[in-house]
Amino acid sequence: MTDLIHELRNKIIDTLKLEDVSPADIGEEDQLVGGELGLDSIDVLELVIMIEKDYAVKIDNKELGARVFVNLKTLATHIREMAPEGIF
Amino acid sequence: MTDIRAFIAGMGLITPLAKGVSRNWEALVGGETGIRKLTLFPTAEDLFFPVGEVTATLSPTGPPRTHQLALMAAEEAMAHGEGPPDAIVVGSITGGMCRTEALLKEKRLDPSLFSYHGAGSVAEYLAVKLKCKGPAMTVSTACSSGGAAMAVALALLRTGKYTRVLTGGAESLCRLTYFGFHSLQLIDPRGSRPLSRDRKGLTVSEGAGMLLLEGKTGMADPDTIEVLGAGLTCDAYHPASPDPEGTGALSAMKKALDDAGLTPQDIDYVNLHGTGTVDNDLSEAKAFNRLFREKKPLVSSVKGAFGHSLSAAGAIEAVISARCVEAGMAPAGAGCHTPDPILKLRPLKESKKAPIKTVMSNSFGFGGSNASVVMGRPRDPQGSKPPLPASLEVVGTACITGAGSTSQTLDAFSNGLNCEGLLSEKEICQPLSTRSVRRLKRLSRMGLSLAVDAVDDAGDPKEPDAVFFGTGWGALSETHDFLKNLYETDERFSSPTDFMGSVHNATAGRIAIKFNARGPNITTTGGDDSFEQALMSAHLLATEEDKPLLVMGADEFHPVLSELFDPSVVLAKTPSDGGGALLLRCVKTHTEASSDPKLTPLFHETVTGNPHVMSSLIKCLGGSETIIADFGAVFAGLPAQSHANGRKQLDLFLKTIEYNGPVIDYRRYLGQFASASAVAAVLAVSLLKTGEISSALTENKNIHLNGKGILLLGLGNSVTAVAVQNGEGSP
Repeated sequence: MTDLIHELRNKIIDTLKLEDVSPADIGEEDQLVGGELGLDSIDVLELVIMIEKDYAVKIDNKELGARVFVNLKTLATHIREMAPEGIF
Repeated sequence: MTDIRAFIAGMGLITPLAKGVSRNWEALVGGETGIRKLTLFPTAEDLFFPVGEVTATLSPTGPPRTHQLALMAAEEAMAHGEGPPDAIVVGSITGGMCRTEALLKEKRLDPSLFSYHGAGSVAEYLAVKLKCKGPAMTVSTACSSGGAAMAVALALLRTGKYTRVLTGGAESLCRLTYFGFHSLQLIDPRGSRPLSRDRKGLTVSEGAGMLLLEGKTGMADPDTIEVLGAGLTCDAYHPASPDPEGTGALSAMKKALDDAGLTPQDIDYVNLHGTGTVDNDLSEAKAFNRLFREKKPLVSSVKGAFGHSLSAAGAIEAVISARCVEAGMAPAGAGCHTPDPILKLRPLKESKKAPIKTVMSNSFGFGGSNASVVMGRPRDPQGSKPPLPASLEVVGTACITGAGSTSQTLDAFSNGLNCEGLLSEKEICQPLSTRSVRRLKRLSRMGLSLAVDAVDDAGDPKEPDAVFFGTGWGALSETHDFLKNLYETDERFSSPTDFMGSVHNATAGRIAIKFNARGPNITTTGGDDSFEQALMSAHLLATEEDKPLLVMGADEFHPVLSELFDPSVVLAKTPSDGGGALLLRCVKTHTEASSDPKLTPLFHETVTGNPHVMSSLIKCLGGSETIIADFGAVFAGLPAQSHANGRKQLDLFLKTIEYNGPVIDYRRYLGQFASASAVAAVLAVSLLKTGEISSALTENKNIHLNGKGILLLGLGNSVTAVAVQNGEGSP
């Protein structure tokens, strides 16, 4: 799980072009959306695409998104649970 | 004051429901739906959503679908007309994208295949087909384009310079919008169900709606339909989501009513934008209920039957709204079986006969752009409409070229040095924070930077309320990257950020957010005269604005797409891009005038089928003596793609008026990009202030302007003239 969280930190920074953020700035339980990172609903959708592309996990509605994108931990847990065999 | 009123003289429709206004109306009130399976391009099974696809037969060898649909609707609207329209104002988002993306997919990269790519090419095609010599303008404000185009057309008619204006919108289904709305999770997999409790999103669709408007004064035929008023505003809230309280939508509706001289009680039916997305319908319902407090008009959204044809929707629904008045009937909203109680609306479940005298049609779009149009049986005139502003005075300027930002460009240009090339993004973004530009690509970065610099240049806090932005080719980086991602993933994945940024008005929407500019937010496009269209729109719509307005033009160079789309770029030795921004103050009476330079659009005609265009120009400018008395220098815009023709036009102009002053071919210094004229306008303002043109530009000696102005001519495929002159308050 730690590896996945680490990987996600880098992917979030790359995908969302957060040039002024370093991986260490994103705490496992820091609020992802609307928090200090300044992420909004469009960023979430951008991450949804990345997650489906890289981990084959679909997050195709707002309600599910709201539960999954709470913080890095909830995101990693969801990906772990839903990813098809062979992804990790 | 203007007493000119606009009446509908003809209407045309082509939609997924039917071809022709009558058949569409019958199908709509008969409860039919045009939402069906997509056949235009293949998709993966799990990405296969219903669409509104037109079933009429189109020519496989003709221009792209959008153009063919536009012409079908236009020919119907013009069927009873007397000759060509004087001007055309069309709403278009994607132009020939449907063909472009297929060519890119097949890697057929011959520039001659892309001649119908531009969103502006739809209006230009109609102008050629309908033999229209007047301006062929394109409003590209995403999903409000059709309604916004009508507002511009109405303003054009009220000037009295044009009597018959064809307006409308046209849109073809394409991958960009289909996969784009999917990436935003805004598509209802069951087909859109506007205003219903279980709505899940919209259905992308296509079609065209056109209206021939005629300007008249005096008594009106009581059986006609009058376009009574229009309102344009911007949410200044978010690039792709509506303001949740519907404040921008509410102010557009209020402005339309004010423009018509009516109150909410006068409206009998409202055709909602009603896309079927959770957020749109909720914010629009809030705006509706804030406006209509006592008497609630009948209300429905027809997008459950037509789908959402984006830039065509506002025009198609304007035609339907006008038809409601003629038929004394309001159409049901297909797909809305159980209205969402949260909306507090009573959408029509069945089409209803009712005495309908006056209607309102709403269109809202990305970038927070809102348009509301009021039409109905003619009413006693409620007083004259405000006249055009006496002048637009320049209070701040900024430009970007390969030479650098404003001061570097001015320096280089006035010394006759080359300003071609591409400024680095780091330099472009200099006045902007890293975070504010992280989701923006080259065009939006340039636009935002120009806007910030122009406002800054004005000194005092003079933030704009309205934005008029012209771009020849729009956000090429976002468009390219969206399609590249899509094709690289076997048409599965695309970026919602790129989709949102790909619309032509994304830049102007960003600028509105930056300055909380809630007035009209208009993006125009049409190749080399895009900036001139923006200036003309500003001049038409500025009458009610008390705060300054930003008028801008910018284009980005893209290593793949620029050469495919813009023939002038192919001929250029050095890739170049840039833009210019002018913060303008609307001076309503001559007594308010200051000594600040003023900018006035004077002339705009298309060249095809218009052999006497240069005589018209000279006549419009007041004849030889007046031109020579008014202008001490000519800035000539000669795009490389039409250089020979442009040169001939220029020579004819100069010879006819016997002009011996300096003529500066500014593209020689700035390079080839569609909105180079916006930079030229900024440079002209600067030279006017110094009162002198250096020998480096005239290749002779320093020329003193002696209080005269500079004439900006756009030549080639269209001929435009803009005057840059000293303010009337000058000593």
